[in-house]
Amino acid sequence: MKVSRVFAVTKRALRDIKNDRRTRVLIFVAPLLVMILFGVAFTGNVKDVRVIVVNNDTAAASSSLSDKIISNFDTSTLNVAYSNSESDAIGQVQNGSAYAVIAFPSTFTQSVEARASGQTSIPQENVTVSILADKSNVNVANPIIAAVNNAVVQTTQGQGHQPPVSVDASNAIYGANAQFIDTFVPGIVSVAVWQITMLLTLIAFVGERTSGTLSRLLASPLKESELVAGYAVAFGAIGAAQSAVLLAVAVLLFHITIVGNVFLSFGVIALLAIVAEGLGILLSSFARREAQAVQFLPFVVLPAFLLSGVFWPIEAIPEWLQPVSYLLPTTYAVAAVRSVNLRGWGLDKIYPDVVALLIFAGVFLVLATILLRRRE
Amino acid sequence: MKDDVCIRDLEKDFGGFKAVNKLSLRVKHGEIYGLLGPNGAGKTTVIKILCGLLRPSSGEAYVLDTKVPDPRTASRIGYMPQELAMYRGLTVHENLAFYGEVFGLSKQQIDTREQALLKLIDLQDSRDTLVDQLSGGMQHRTSLACALLHEPQLLFLDEPTVGVDPDLRASFWQYFEELRDSGITILITTHYMDEARHCDRIGFMREGRLIAEGSPQELLELTHTDSLEDAFLSYSRTGESA
Repeated sequence: MKVSRVFAVTKRALRDIKNDRRTRVLIFVAPLLVMILFGVAFTGNVKDVRVIVVNNDTAAASSSLSDKIISNFDTSTLNVAYSNSESDAIGQVQNGSAYAVIAFPSTFTQSVEARASGQTSIPQENVTVSILADKSNVNVANPIIAAVNNAVVQTTQGQGHQPPVSVDASNAIYGANAQFIDTFVPGIVSVAVWQITMLLTLIAFVGERTSGTLSRLLASPLKESELVAGYAVAFGAIGAAQSAVLLAVAVLLFHITIVGNVFLSFGVIALLAIVAEGLGILLSSFARREAQAVQFLPFVVLPAFLLSGVFWPIEAIPEWLQPVSYLLPTTYAVAAVRSVNLRGWGLDKIYPDVVALLIFAGVFLVLATILLRRRE
Repeated sequence: MKDDVCIRDLEKDFGGFKAVNKLSLRVKHGEIYGLLGPNGAGKTTVIKILCGLLRPSSGEAYVLDTKVPDPRTASRIGYMPQELAMYRGLTVHENLAFYGEVFGLSKQQIDTREQALLKLIDLQDSRDTLVDQLSGGMQHRTSLACALLHEPQLLFLDEPTVGVDPDLRASFWQYFEELRDSGITILITTHYMDEARHCDRIGFMREGRLIAEGSPQELLELTHTDSLEDAFLSYSRTGESA
C-alpha cells in the first residue's frame, strides 16, 4: 500500500464535500439540529402536570397532615387544583383536563396519628393517599407518583417520624450532576456519525460505480485496498470533526458534563465512522442507483437508534433481542463515549469496546477490499 | 513491428451469454486500431478485459507483452471508459490532479502536463470550473485529458465520440492521429462506421466475433462498397448466410 495514493483518495473525497454546500450542511448542521431538538424538548423532567386534589381530611387546618403533604408537593412538576367531589375530579381526568386525582380519606390525620401512637387496629385505607392517575402515558404518571411519594416522605420526616430504613443516593460514583442530555449526547453523536457516514459512503460508491470512475481507478495503479483506506481516512476525519462540533455545542448549550479526555471520544467516533464506511461499501454493491442505496439506510440506522443504548440501556431490551444489540457497532461506540465523557475512563478501561470496533472495522474493510478486487 | 496488444481465442461468458467468442486480433505498435460493430457486439468487454477489469473465460490476451490481468500494465496504459468517469463535484483541475496523483505523478509533472493538455483541448479558461457545470463536449474533452495525463504508451478509448458533436469529433480524430504520430498506440471502439476511416486498421465485430479485418481501403475494395457502413453490412450478411 502506498501512502501517497491513499492520501490522494482521501483528498479527493474531502474535496467532494468541500465543494458541495448541501453535503456540508448534512454533515454538520443536521446532527446539530437533532441534538438541539432532543436536548431542548427532552430534558427528562415532566413539568406543570395538572392534578386534582380531593382532600376529605376533616382535621383542623392547623394540624392537618394532608395540608402539609400538599404544601410539600413539587409545584414545578404538579399544577395542583382542588375539588370537593371525587367523581367530579375523576370526570376532569376522563375529559383530559387533568392527569390524576389525588385523594385523602376523611380520617387521614387522625388515623395516621393514632397509628403513630401505637394503635394497630386502624385500617390501611384510612392512612392511604390514593392516586387515580391516567396511566396512558407512563412518562407523565410516574413523575406524579414520585412527586406525591416524595411529599409524603418529606412530611413524615418533618413530623419527626423517622422511617425505619433510609436510602441515600446523593453521592454518585460517576455522573454526579448528570441529566438526560448528558447520557443522550454520546448516543446521538454515535448514531449521527453512523448514519451520515453510511449515507456518504453509499452515495460515493454507487457514484464511483455508475459514473465509471471506479473502472478508471481499477485500471490504474491504485490498489483496491488504497481506495478503501483513502475513504476510511477521509470519513474517519469527518466523523471526528462531527463529534467535536456536536460536543462543543452540547457543552455550550446544555452544559453537559465531560470529565474524560474528549480526544479519546473523537477517536472512538472516528473508528465508528470507518466501520460505517466499510459496511457502506459492501452494501453499495447491492445497489445500481443512489435511490436503491438510500433504501438500505432504515435497516442500518433504525436498529442503531433503538437497540444500541442511545435512549434506554441494553439491559432494558428483551433478552432475546439483546444479541442484536451486541452485533451493532454503535452499541460499543455509545458505551465507550459515555464512559469517557461521564466516567472519565481512559483507554485502559474502554479497550473492550475499542477492540470490538477494531474487529468490525477490520472485517468490513477487508471484505470491502475483496469485493472491489473481485473480477467477473 | 511488435504488437502492443495480442489477443488469442479470447472468450468471455456472462452466465451463458457469450459476449466475446473466439476472438483473436493484434494491435501493432504505433497504429490506431478501430474495433467497429453495433451495440452489444462485445467491443466494451474486449476493452475491459485488456484493462484488467474483467477476466477472460478462456483464451488469452497480452498487453505490452504482459498477460492480463496484471497490475504491472496499469501505469503504462490509458483508459477512457464509455461513461464520463469523472467526479462531477470536482473542478477540471481537481479531477486531473487526482488521476495524476493516482498514477504517481509529482505536483510539478501534473502542473506542466495539465497546462499542455488544457491548451490542446482548449479548456484553459475552465481549469477551475466544476465538471458538472461544463458542457457535454467540454466534459468529453476533460475525460480524454484524464486518460492522457500520465502519458501512456497505449490508449484504450471506449466509444470516445458518442454524443460528441461533429466539430468536436473531427478535432478528436485529428488529435488521435497526432498522438499516434508521437508513437502512442490506440485501440478505439466505435459504432460510427464513417469515422473509422481515420483508423490504420479496422476490425468488424459482431456477436462477439471478429468478422473482418483490414485497412479501411482494403475493406472497401474487398466488398466493392463506397462506405464502411456498407462494407460492414456486406460482411454481416455473409456471416448470416455462412
